[in-house]
Formats: sequence, C-alpha cells, structure tokens
Amino acid sequence: MSKNFNVDPKVLYMVVSSSAVPVTDLLDRASQRSDKLHALSTSLSQELNSHLPLIGRVITPRPSMCHTAALQTPTDKTQTLQLSEANLLSLARSLLQAWMDPLVDISTSANSLPHPARNIISNQVQELQEHSKSLEDGLDILSRKMGPVAQTISFLPYLRGNDISQDRISSLINLQFLMSCFRRDSHKIDSFLKVLRCRAAKLQPQMC
Amino acid sequence: MKEVMEEAVLLFLLLVIYTPDAQGTRYSPPGKPELTRCRSPEKETFTCWWKPGSDGGLPTTHALYYRKENSDTIYECSDYHTAGENSCFFNKNDTSIWVNYNITVVASNALGSTFSDPVDIDVVYIVKPNPPEKVTVTVMELKEWPFLRVSWEPPHKADTRSGWITLIYELRVKLEGDDEWEMHLAGQQKLFNIFSLRSGGTYHVQVRCKPDHGFWSEWSSTSHIEIPDYLHREKSMWILIAVFSAFIFLILTWSLHMSSHRSLKHCILPPVPGPKIKGFDKQLLKNGKSEDLLRVLVVSDFPPTTPSNYEDMLVEYLEVYVPQEQEVLLEESKDLHDSCLKFEGSTSDNDSGRVSCDSHTLLMDKCGEAKEEGRQTDQEDSTTEAEAQGQQKDWDQDTLMYANGDILSPEKSSGRVKTWPSVFSPLPQYTLSLPDQTSSLEMAKQHCYSDSLFCPGSTSSYLTHLGNNDNETLGPGSWEICLSNRQPYSHIPQMQTCQQVRSHSDVNISTIARKQEPAGLPLPFFRPTAYVEVQRFDEEDMVVLQSIVSDHGFHEGFPQMLQQEDYSKVKGVDSNNMLLLQTEAMKEDGDGTTPHKPTAHIHTVVSTQDEMAQPASGYVDTATIFTLPTY
Repeated sequence: MSKNFNVDPKVLYMVVSSSAVPVTDLLDRASQRSDKLHALSTSLSQELNSHLPLIGRVITPRPSMCHTAALQTPTDKTQTLQLSEANLLSLARSLLQAWMDPLVDISTSANSLPHPARNIISNQVQELQEHSKSLEDGLDILSRKMGPVAQTISFLPYLRGNDISQDRISSLINLQFLMSCFRRDSHKIDSFLKVLRCRAAKLQPQMC
Repeated sequence: MKEVMEEAVLLFLLLVIYTPDAQGTRYSPPGKPELTRCRSPEKETFTCWWKPGSDGGLPTTHALYYRKENSDTIYECSDYHTAGENSCFFNKNDTSIWVNYNITVVASNALGSTFSDPVDIDVVYIVKPNPPEKVTVTVMELKEWPFLRVSWEPPHKADTRSGWITLIYELRVKLEGDDEWEMHLAGQQKLFNIFSLRSGGTYHVQVRCKPDHGFWSEWSSTSHIEIPDYLHREKSMWILIAVFSAFIFLILTWSLHMSSHRSLKHCILPPVPGPKIKGFDKQLLKNGKSEDLLRVLVVSDFPPTTPSNYEDMLVEYLEVYVPQEQEVLLEESKDLHDSCLKFEGSTSDNDSGRVSCDSHTLLMDKCGEAKEEGRQTDQEDSTTEAEAQGQQKDWDQDTLMYANGDILSPEKSSGRVKTWPSVFSPLPQYTLSLPDQTSSLEMAKQHCYSDSLFCPGSTSSYLTHLGNNDNETLGPGSWEICLSNRQPYSHIPQMQTCQQVRSHSDVNISTIARKQEPAGLPLPFFRPTAYVEVQRFDEEDMVVLQSIVSDHGFHEGFPQMLQQEDYSKVKGVDSNNMLLLQTEAMKEDGDGTTPHKPTAHIHTVVSTQDEMAQPASGYVDTATIFTLPTY
C-alpha cells in the first residue's frame, strides 16, 4: 500500500461545511467508541493473562505474527501526522474490518474455555463484537463524506486456527495471542481517529 | 631481587584475596539487575529504569540492550544519563510505537556479568505524562459568594494540539490543616470552578492528568490561595439575630406588663363564653344525650317540614269526598303519583304560580292513571290535605290557590264536596258516576296536558274517573278537581288542566270524565288554564260554571281568552254521558280575540261508560274546552 503523506485540507473542510451532521460530531462519537473498544480489549487481555500466567508468557507468539501485520501503519508520531485524513480513515477501517471474522472465532473459543471466569470473558467478547460493529457502521458513514480514498479498505486475510481439535492449552494460548493483537490494533484505530477528530475541530480546541 | 619482590607482592595479594574468612568479604559476579519500569511521557520518547543487584563487591557496570520485534538486531541504549542513575533514555529516533521492545539489562563486573529478565514493552502502553503546568488559582465572586477558579496547561511535552495525546485532568482541594482532599474530575477541560468553599482560610490546590490509555501523572506542585472572610454575608445573619432577639425582648416586656396588671393567663386565654341559645339547656348538653338535644332544637311550631316531595306544596285541589270510597289501590296511585311527582319535580317550572295547570312535565300516562286511582284515599287525603293546606298558604299568591283548610278534612260522609270556602260557597254534595275503570284510566291519560305536548285526547274538558278499580266504588261520587298546576296530589289524579268546580247541589252528574280523542288536534299555544267555578246547579241539571279570572292571571301573556269566554254553564248530560258545558257569552275586553265560538266551547269532555249510571266524578276541564278549536 502506498503511503500518501499529503495532507489534503480542502477535502476535509468541504466535508465539514456541507454535512448535515457535522463531521466533528461524527468523529467525536467514533473516537469515543474506539476508546471504549480499546479499553474492553485491554481488560479482556489482562483477564486472560491473569489466569494463564506461566505458560502464556513463555510461549507468547510474537506480535509480528498478527494477521494484520501485513498492513503498513505508521510507527511514530511524525509518520502518523503526515498521513492524510482519508488515509487515516482508510487505515482505521481496514484494521477494523480485518477483525470482524477473528472476533467470531474469539467468541467461540471464549465460550468453550476451561476457565473459571468464562462467563465474564464471554460477556466481554460479546460486548467487543457489538462495539466493533457499531464503530464499523459509523466509520462507514464517515468515509462516505470523505471521498473515495477514505473508502478504500485493504483486505487482510485471516487464516482460521488450522486445527479445530486443538488441545485446550493451545487454544488458550491462541486466544491470548489473538487478544494481544486486537488490543494493539484497537489502539491504532483509536489513535488515528483522535488525530482526525482534532484536525477536524479546528474551531473547537477543547476537543483536543 | 626484583623477582623476589614481585612474588612476595603476589603472594601477599593472594593471601589478602583468598582469606575471606578472616575479613568477611567475597567478590562475586554482579547480582541480577531488574528492570523496574519504563515510562513514556509523551508517546514519543521513553525511559527505562532498573534496579541493580548486588555488585558482588566489585565495581559493576550496567548495560541495557534491546531488540525490536521483527528484527534481530540488538541495540544498546545510547543515553544512560539523561534520566539519571540506572536509567536508559530512548530518544525520538530510537522510539517506535506499536512495536514491541524486548529489553534486557546486563550487569557486569570483573567477575562476570548477569543478565536481567527480558521485558517486553510497547511504548503506547506505558504513557505517563508530566504533571500539568502553570496552575493558577484565583478567587472570584458570584453574587457575593466566592469561588475558586483553577486553570492550568498541559505539560509542555505532551502534544495535545495535534491530537497525538488526549489528556484528561483531575484536581484536588483542601483547606490548610485538613487531612482529606476534595477530588474533582475535570475531563478534557483546562478550567475548573470550585464552589464548595467554606469560611475564610488558605486552600491548597493540585492538578494532575492522564492520557486516555495510560497512567496518572504526578500531582502538580501545590498552589496556595487565601480566601478572605466575607463579613457582609455574615452580617445579614447578625441582623436576623438582632431582630429576632428584639422581638423576643418585646414579647417578654409585654408579658411582664400584662402580668403586673392582669393575670397573664387571663390575657392569653380569655374565658370561653358559654352558649346562649334560647331554650337551650346546658344540662342537656352535659348529659350528652343527643336525642334530647335534637328534640330541643326542633321547634314545635316550625312550619311543617318539607313534604316527601316538594311537589306537594304546589298541590291544590278540590277534593270532593265520596262517602263510599273504597281503598283503591292507594299504593299504586301513590306510586304513580310519586313517580309523577318525581317526574314533575325534575323539570321545574319557573312559574309555579301559573294558573294554568298545564305542566310541561307531567307524565301523561302515569299521571293519568294516578289521577284516577288516587282519589279514594280518605285518610291519605286528610293528611295530604292538611299538608296541602299548609302548603297552600305558601302559595297564596298563586292564582291556583283555591284550596283552603276546609278541604283538608275529608269526611266519610258521602258526597261532601270540598271546596274552597274562602272563595266559594260550600257546594252541595253531588255525586258523580264512576266511569269504567279502564276507560277512566284512559281518559286520565288523555287528560294530561302539557304546554308543549299534545296530549291525546285532551280535547275537551273532561271528568276523569276517579277510582279506577273494579269495584265501582264511588257511590255518590265526587268531583275531584285538580288545582295543582303542576304537581298532582297523591290521591288526586293528575290533571293538567284544573278547574275549580263548585258543586252546588248534590246532584248526580252522570258526567263522564272522558275525553275525546282529539286526534290530530294541535295545541297551538299555551292553553291558558281557566278556572271555572261551579256556581250553582240548576234544576235542569245544569252546572253553572263561573269562570274565575285570577288576578295573577296568565303571566306569560296568554291571550286572556279566559276572560272572554265563560264556560260556566253545564248544559247537560247527553246520552253519551257527556257533560255539556256551555259558555255564557260574556265578552270582556280582552287582549286577544278568541277564535273560539262560544258554542264551540261547549264540549262534553268525557264520555263515561255506558254502564256507568252514576255520574262519574271527574274533572271539568274548561280550560281545555276553550282552548280547543271548534270541531
């Protein structure tokens, strides 16, 4: 994916002036939802880690093995701020889209966890799915207001767990790994949206 | 020589080194260092601190090595000093976010080196900003009430303008000397008002911040602010206290004054006056017997209490008493009467004094029946008459009031005609034949008039049958003429149009109270009721009727037709048992013209049964007569 470092303020300002619901409001809502999404993923990740300490730590897969690693994302502030709004939104949407299927898998395996806190985990996973869905819808609406570039979504293939008959430890480890990947990606989404929000609210510095 | 010296020194050194027991020290490789924490203040740089282990008695050095994910290159920390001792500072160039760092610290001394446990961190998860800066606290006033306004700025390193970091703030306040702080969450704003201030004193204020997914910063340095005492606020309270105490002082003075002149008790609690009701016995009250009380309260000569129906008060009637009356279905009549009364009562006629008996409200059927049936009651009559009499006094003004006390006593003597002595001479007794029962009922029905309704059969005057029972009880019969304009009397069948009839002699009038079916006869206007007084009874068996014009007249401006026509003459009874009334042409100057011919008014009102030989008691409804057109 080619990086577009050109900031195109014209597109954003045009959008801001012509929309019925201000883009700033939409971005604000999206930011809040992504914030909540990341908080949920963090707590879920910590819940899983607390109940499977030793083994998990030893065999924790490297994050570079996340299926979303293929998507090139900025790695520091400078790079991030250089991205255009459309690019930022496109990245956020791509990441979010890439997690829709895996969340289903996570939900399935969370329900069959040999885990004392299974119910809590299941509930949180379900909440996660709901928030993801609503955020996806919101970003969809936003993207329509921001031009074609914002609407492009990079497809990130997700390979399901190969062995359905994984032993329980393995499935647990896999679950932990997935959750760690999701935690990071949700943080990326949140960061991109908040940068976008601040850029759109030039007249409302209190948003930043 | 030199070689010996060197060997001696070496030996000495060895001795020194390898005699630990004697000296208690032992050199060892350094202990394992430990990474305590890594923090990033702005998501652009970060610092890691470690805790060194034992140094093993030898100078040890530490080194930090890290590796980024996806890469196997090992880097060493480039800045060990910026962040202080045992720290490593990663500058912007070395910092990548959303990248896992694998960090290890190595302690090494002369005897070896020890590696710490590796730590994986992601910079975005370890953000802890610096405290907010430039915290200013000012005292401001809102409607003479002071409050604190606290404002601050984000730490200068945190880039909140671009949205790279989103910070939320929290502040805390306490009075100098207090132990507990008052916390306030301020969100993303950089301005906050504190209203929960107490009296004057010195307040301490502190602020801190936190990124959206990170750690709280340290508290800012304390800002001190002094609140001056607000005397004028308390002044109002003092004024209130002064007024209140003055008030109390006044009360005390007054009470002392009163007590010196009079008993205070007497002043505050004056004696309760006793009841002063004439004829009221306090003892009764004290006895507490309610019955006695009530009896006392009821004055004997109080005018008779309201009758069961107020309609009774309006009832006047001339009751002609039939000696051989039998108890006709009194109850039935009464019921009917009551129902009639009630019905009548429901619709109030403003002009109760109207002479005309036409009543809007009379229920034809029921009333008619009641009329016929109720006539019998002797005892009832007495009481009712008494009542009526009493009521009639009230209605004296009313033109209808012709009844008087003499009527009140129905006697069993046969054929006593009760009239209104004040007005008329006593009438001789006469008898009327009783019509057939059913027909009487019918007739009664038909005789019901109302102002607006066209009562079937209300064509002509009629004599209603009295006592419509199987027994032809009415021997001599009696006329019962309803005077009531509205409310029929219980035992008197209702007659809308009432006539004053005076029977002059004891003559059997085989009159029939039966009205013709005036089918289709419209009653074009109000039928002014005419009162006819039976003046005399001719040898010819004629009842001379004298119309009586009441002074009160027909208020509504009825055409004074009554004055013009006089149906005072009973011509006779024809074969059909019809009472023929005849008017005497006495034209008076009236307001209107009467369309009726005198002759026309000679109507026989009612036809009795053929069987009824005896004259039926009934009503002569002259009013109806004259109102009806000729036919």
